[in-house]
Amino acid sequence: MRSLLSKTGKEGSLANNGSALSLLGFALSLPPFLLVLGFVGIPILIGFTFSLGFTRGPNRVISIIGQQIHPKTHWWGTLAAYSDVFHDSRFVGDLVLTLAVTAISTVLVILIALAIALHQRLVGGRTASVLATLSIVPLFVPVVISAWAIHTFYGGDGFMRSFFANIGINFPTLTSTSTAIVIGSVWTSLPFSILMISSGVQAVPDALIESAKDCGASTLKVISTVVVPLAQTPIIIAGSFTAIGIMGSFTIPLFLGPNQPTMLGVEISNFFGAYNRPQQSLVMAFIVFLAASGIAVLYIWSNVKSAKESGRI
Amino acid sequence: MRRYFNPAKVALNLSVFLLALFILGPILWLGVHAFVTDWKYPHLYPSGLTLNWWSKVFLDSALKTAIRNSLIISPIVVVLSMVICLPAAYAAGRKNYWGRKTFMITLFSANSFPKIGLFAAIATLYYTLNLMGTFLGVVIIQLLGTIIYMTWIPAAAFASVPRYLEEAARDAGANKFTVFRTITLRMAMPGILVAIVMSFLASFDEAQGSYLVGAPTIYTMPTEMYSLVQNYPIQVAAVFSILLAIPSVLLLGLARKHIMGGQLAEGFQIK
Repeated sequence: MRSLLSKTGKEGSLANNGSALSLLGFALSLPPFLLVLGFVGIPILIGFTFSLGFTRGPNRVISIIGQQIHPKTHWWGTLAAYSDVFHDSRFVGDLVLTLAVTAISTVLVILIALAIALHQRLVGGRTASVLATLSIVPLFVPVVISAWAIHTFYGGDGFMRSFFANIGINFPTLTSTSTAIVIGSVWTSLPFSILMISSGVQAVPDALIESAKDCGASTLKVISTVVVPLAQTPIIIAGSFTAIGIMGSFTIPLFLGPNQPTMLGVEISNFFGAYNRPQQSLVMAFIVFLAASGIAVLYIWSNVKSAKESGRI
Repeated sequence: MRRYFNPAKVALNLSVFLLALFILGPILWLGVHAFVTDWKYPHLYPSGLTLNWWSKVFLDSALKTAIRNSLIISPIVVVLSMVICLPAAYAAGRKNYWGRKTFMITLFSANSFPKIGLFAAIATLYYTLNLMGTFLGVVIIQLLGTIIYMTWIPAAAFASVPRYLEEAARDAGANKFTVFRTITLRMAMPGILVAIVMSFLASFDEAQGSYLVGAPTIYTMPTEMYSLVQNYPIQVAAVFSILLAIPSVLLLGLARKHIMGGQLAEGFQIK
């Protein structure tokens, strides 16, 4: 119902505004745009030229500080730093781990969030709101704390091991394993997905669910043919944000993951700081960016599709 | 018989229990450590209780400096973010202008570059601009993380203010400014509040960038945690964690109703 109302509101607003282009609107939007351009766009662009071996101008200082810098050999640069990275045995392991952790964690987050949202929509009641409130809790906790808390909880002296030892089970030390990264990633990503997906599922009109039930559809059928398709856009938004966040995460794999292989977020930081190889570090950042862009495209496509369907474009 | 044993109900209660253990277990476990002398595997009880770790934190000048830095930097970041982003959010929510969609998508793409890689790239630029290890450098890094919240969420809030209310007020003789203040701004307020809270937390909790750019001259609370967990006993980290979590709990408690009411979710759908 809410979505229906907001849609008519949108159409009304378009009619009011007409399609007259506002110069004031353009001017007002400039400050954040320029800030992002100056401190995100330009550094990324400069970083890209640096990864290709352009060592002069803004890259001069870092080229003096860093080690194993490959200056350009052609007019367009060189791929030497890229070849360094792909021939580094650590990198391949890191990339596989990063993609695997991202995929598994994202699927888990979406499944848990969907289950809670569906329970809230179709059954409701006190248990449902307890579940929803519980799953929002990680939003209240800074990631440095949650990473460290999970580290101690599943660690050698942690609660899980102590508790199971008392009932005679030897619980494994999960800290410093890739399982712990998945646990940490799911923990921190859950609130955003719950908020997105439950808002999408709540917006499915009662009438549609009721009429599907009247036609004899089972609960599973109602979920798979009515609720999930209608909440598709928020589900995809939640999934893409979660995946992008996990893929570039740093604190969680730093505190919870193994030393080798590690996730690329940690390796980028190691190469930049500890190993002092900034060029290779940026190469890795661009590889992660490439993967994240693929997911970002999915997000934008899904948004545009839903805007078209509701007649906003 | 069915009244006493309902498998669905048992499964539901079990999943509530498991979720509670999964979510609350780690933070309670860490929190309790702020008050214990020692706790070793495989004991289910600590060796003793103490408040000594608290005085240890409050007497440590490095930790106190970190607390002070965080409490100064984050409010500055939020105010700057509001000044820079709220007019743009109003424009994106209410006006139609050239490049509006590109603008929203650009802000999003900025978010999809892996944070740590972006910080490495920014550090390259910071060396050239002499911003490395400076207060301003840390402020800018944290500001970048707030932009997406401070533009998208208020933009959706401004867009959803019904036009007929504004027109009715205009018809009744209110001037443009009064209409904006008493109707548009007031109705968009929950969204703006959520944006402020999320921005404050994004800034207050930001660790990777502030560490890369600020350390070793400027430490904030989260960046101090990196060295804390390596150099201090777990109990000190526990005390520090509780202190670090206080603002988040207070602020989110304040805005919980609006966040769960869909303001956050609304904001992340490009319109």
